[in-house]
Amino acid sequence: MTGTMTRPTVSPFLEPGLHTKPRSLAILQLSRDNLLPIYLQEASGEHDGYAEGAVVNTRYGSFPHSTMLNVPWGSQIRASKVDTGSRGRKRKRGPKDDASRDDAEENQPETTDNNNATEATRVKQAVADDSGFIHVLPPTPELWTQSLPHRTQVVYTPDYSYILHRIRARPGSTIIEAGAGSGSFTHASVRAVYNGYPSSAEDRKGKVFSFEYHEERYHKMKKELTDHNLDGLVHLTHRDVYNGGFLIDGTSPEADAIFLDLPKPWEALPHLSRRKPQTEAKEGEEWVSPLNPKRAVHMCTFSPCIEQVTRTVSAMRRLGWVDIDMVEIANRKLHTIRDRVGLHYQTDRGVNVSPHDVEEALDRLAEIEERVREQAARPRNGEDGAEDADTVMKNGDVAVKKDDDKASAAEQPPYQTPWVDGRLITKGEPEIKTHTSYLVFAVLPREWTEEDEAAAFAKYPCGKEKAVVGSMDKQTRKKERREQLQKIGDRKARRKERAEKIAEAVE
Amino acid sequence: MHHSVIKPNSWVALKLPSGVTRVIQVTPNTSISLGKYGTFPANLILERPYYLTFEVQDKLPEDSFSRLRVVPPSELYADVFAEEDAECANPAAGPGSNNDAVIATAEGEEFSLVDAESGNVIARSTQEVIDENARQKLTQAEIEELKRDGTNAGKDVIAKLLLSHAALDQKTSFSLSKYKLLKTKKYIRRFQVLPIDVPTFSNWQLEERDASKILDIRAEMMGLVGCWGNVHYGGEDVFLEDPKATTEQGEEALAPLQEDLLAGRWLVVDDTGGLLVAAMAERMGVLYKEDDETDEAAEEEEEETEQKDTERADGQQQETTSDTTSLARHPKRPRDNKSRDSDFAVPFSQTNTITVLHGASQPNLSFLNYWNFDVTAPQHPPHPLLNHLLTLSWLQLLKPELDTSYSTPPLTADPETLSIWKPSRRGNFHRKRRRYARVRHIVDSTRAGNFSGLVCASTMDPISILKHALPLLAGGAPVAIYSPSLEPLATLADCFSVARRTAWNSGHVAEIQGKTAEELEKWEGSEQFPLNPTLLLGTSIQTSRARKWQVLPGRTHPLMTERGGADGFIFTGWRAKPAEGKIAAKGKFKRRKVEETVSTPASA
Repeated sequence: MTGTMTRPTVSPFLEPGLHTKPRSLAILQLSRDNLLPIYLQEASGEHDGYAEGAVVNTRYGSFPHSTMLNVPWGSQIRASKVDTGSRGRKRKRGPKDDASRDDAEENQPETTDNNNATEATRVKQAVADDSGFIHVLPPTPELWTQSLPHRTQVVYTPDYSYILHRIRARPGSTIIEAGAGSGSFTHASVRAVYNGYPSSAEDRKGKVFSFEYHEERYHKMKKELTDHNLDGLVHLTHRDVYNGGFLIDGTSPEADAIFLDLPKPWEALPHLSRRKPQTEAKEGEEWVSPLNPKRAVHMCTFSPCIEQVTRTVSAMRRLGWVDIDMVEIANRKLHTIRDRVGLHYQTDRGVNVSPHDVEEALDRLAEIEERVREQAARPRNGEDGAEDADTVMKNGDVAVKKDDDKASAAEQPPYQTPWVDGRLITKGEPEIKTHTSYLVFAVLPREWTEEDEAAAFAKYPCGKEKAVVGSMDKQTRKKERREQLQKIGDRKARRKERAEKIAEAVE
Repeated sequence: MHHSVIKPNSWVALKLPSGVTRVIQVTPNTSISLGKYGTFPANLILERPYYLTFEVQDKLPEDSFSRLRVVPPSELYADVFAEEDAECANPAAGPGSNNDAVIATAEGEEFSLVDAESGNVIARSTQEVIDENARQKLTQAEIEELKRDGTNAGKDVIAKLLLSHAALDQKTSFSLSKYKLLKTKKYIRRFQVLPIDVPTFSNWQLEERDASKILDIRAEMMGLVGCWGNVHYGGEDVFLEDPKATTEQGEEALAPLQEDLLAGRWLVVDDTGGLLVAAMAERMGVLYKEDDETDEAAEEEEEETEQKDTERADGQQQETTSDTTSLARHPKRPRDNKSRDSDFAVPFSQTNTITVLHGASQPNLSFLNYWNFDVTAPQHPPHPLLNHLLTLSWLQLLKPELDTSYSTPPLTADPETLSIWKPSRRGNFHRKRRRYARVRHIVDSTRAGNFSGLVCASTMDPISILKHALPLLAGGAPVAIYSPSLEPLATLADCFSVARRTAWNSGHVAEIQGKTAEELEKWEGSEQFPLNPTLLLGTSIQTSRARKWQVLPGRTHPLMTERGGADGFIFTGWRAKPAEGKIAAKGKFKRRKVEETVSTPASA
């Protein structure tokens, strides 16, 4: 809490605090998968024709921002009675608008000296509606990924969660991301590397260096980052990385991990070397590697087609990347439902009124048969027997149902609570994503020169090995075990001795 | 912290050509034996970078040990390059046409014999099944002899085996490369050193050790749990001020809980032996010690561990010395929790913490040993988890008055009495007072709630966990529960079904009539409503699986077999703060029927 007090610019993605705040991003959950990102505004007078200030209109009702501000995150918000009908008319009236605002506030004395205060008092208090509600949630990369404005194909949670895990994105890491796209990966990766905002230019903290080629997308992304208070944590550059590389003003971002969501990763790969690649045209100029010289660098490329993968992997091998591994992620969501089958159910949505087991079917069939026999035994009026049997059959059916209803109403009805009835089953979503992209992972170890080796060898000279670790022959293992047991025995003996001494002292 | 080089006494994973991983601690001045792949001094990999592939070389006549050679990638991929080049030579241009993008490849030695040939072998249309034993002309005894005398890191053996294969020229290029790969895996004396981080460790545990110990949690699920649990760095460390309690003061001198300082805290139930906690600590930046310090600092640390080892060796010494004297002996040790702390100083940060709830009297977090953290060690060398890992039992959370260490008032003594005590008694006195303050803080701060998230991988029933954990979560906090099987999660998700929520909100459930919002938050559960269905939002169950592919020129396809067993599922949702009173959804859908049926049990 104090953190957010001293640094008011901490992103709501990273430290949302306990309550919603003005001018901060919030995600409104309208219904299960219907999320709406909004920036909460303090009501400072009429807004867009609404007396309550800014209002969110949904098919679940109208929600003035004032009802969603300074409430605990996760709060259920009731819809408000908002005058949406007269809004258009009022606005046309223009200057007179102010005078005819609200009956309830007519009595309030007009203070002319402070205009702002007047505006604030004029904000209409929201009145709760009879029905309709939404929930207000703190933004997380997962919610943002589900609700963000699409610009390109989105890297969804099943993919980015696995990628970030595998490329070792951790607090303090530096990540290069090329192809910022819609920004879902950017938000997830900034959360992964976040370990505080840098206090100065020299202060090295976890950071994401993002590159976007498309100018319009770049500008939108830039604005988004500012709105989300991520400016100090994400460095966004407008550049074609195939030709321009990954340096920031000629200096190295010293990346620990790389994520490439580009159509031709192999064209960007040569820039991500430890040493100058042979293809670089510019001779003489000093070549700077964008990678962290002290650590192994992990990379992931994200390509939808297998041809891209083949070329990427081939280029990676030639450039010295190791542990190359290609996977694709299949994610499935499962719904749980109550599967209700049985004759005793009333016809309702999602209910299958047919026998739920052989016994039930048997009972019913037997009952029908009995009725048919009863019917047949009764004296007949008509001549045509065959036709009669049919109607009897139908009537019998109906009779059984009626009877069932009566019987169940009389005893304790077991089926009156749809949430515990039936068998609990799980089902996949109606539509599943069968392919997102192929993920190619690779590692580029740190450079290791003859001099480094000589220095390390001098520091840790060999030849004085005392023991063997790893697979041991049986004898050594037995010997070690014996020694270990001996030690424990010694300790026990000493402990006993000590206990005796203490006992003596107490006496 | 980010594994720049291999540090002395750290745990590493050695990946062998056979695909087997060996996890060992690299102790200076020992030999590491890889069985048939050779033995080498541990000092030869100390301070060397991770992820390099080493080759165990033959002993030089003047050396008493085998030296290592770093295998360049050009050599690792020599076969693939040869194939690609052959493809390139053909008029049908292959994908390997970007040769110019190569960093000058230092030409390494290769199995000249095979590579020269591989291009020449004519692919045959009819593939005969080659019986290996029948076609291999070398006898087992001869092979054994070769292995014994064989030089050049096993390459000679492989070459001889290939040469003496009777049907070598009948093999297609594919089957030839397969045969070579098989033999290489068996005889080449190479290994790669990987850092023990959470992905490597869990992979090893899953594939080669006992997967059930970590509840079969795969990397995909680990990633999902971390993300849906929104686990991340929870802010700069904040410490409570030392109340400077004297030894005469009792519980009244405890530092009061400051709820507004608590932030970025995650609640965990971990039955994976500490792997889940490690994964969370990794995401929060409290798993690894900083090793980016200068070499001197590293050496100091080394000294310290050595000292600790000698201490360990004579256990009696350690057990009898009082805490105060041991503090004096190690002025550097409490670098993180100031040396002159009083007994009631709270050693934990108020932010960026993991609170582990455990079912046994002690938490099982033994896997943290691989990151040099021992939760049971009384005096621990500096480790970031010390200040950020809080553990308490369910009893301490739910019925603290029954827990002895929580409810027994602290010992007090005036300084004179204290001074005449034996050092061991004095040590015990301080230890008990410190434990009391620690337990008090952990229990009270946990019960204060407002956690930033709940993450579970437990064998316990998730419903019973949520019953007690949900009230402790802050509004909007995510819940992520992993289970190796689907059924427990399905039952859990059913507790939050639309039908249950609607019924609960409709005001027709007799049991909840007249209850305040607070009482409903701590809903104890009934047969029909095991949990308050309005406390979680957007509940959903999912599973992920990564399918591995082989990518080779002309032979790209998914792997033929992979690990089966438990699939693993996660349940996710967000903690909601329901509005008070009756609330109805907007919309045309009339839930008349539901409401009617709800009223029946109420009247009955």
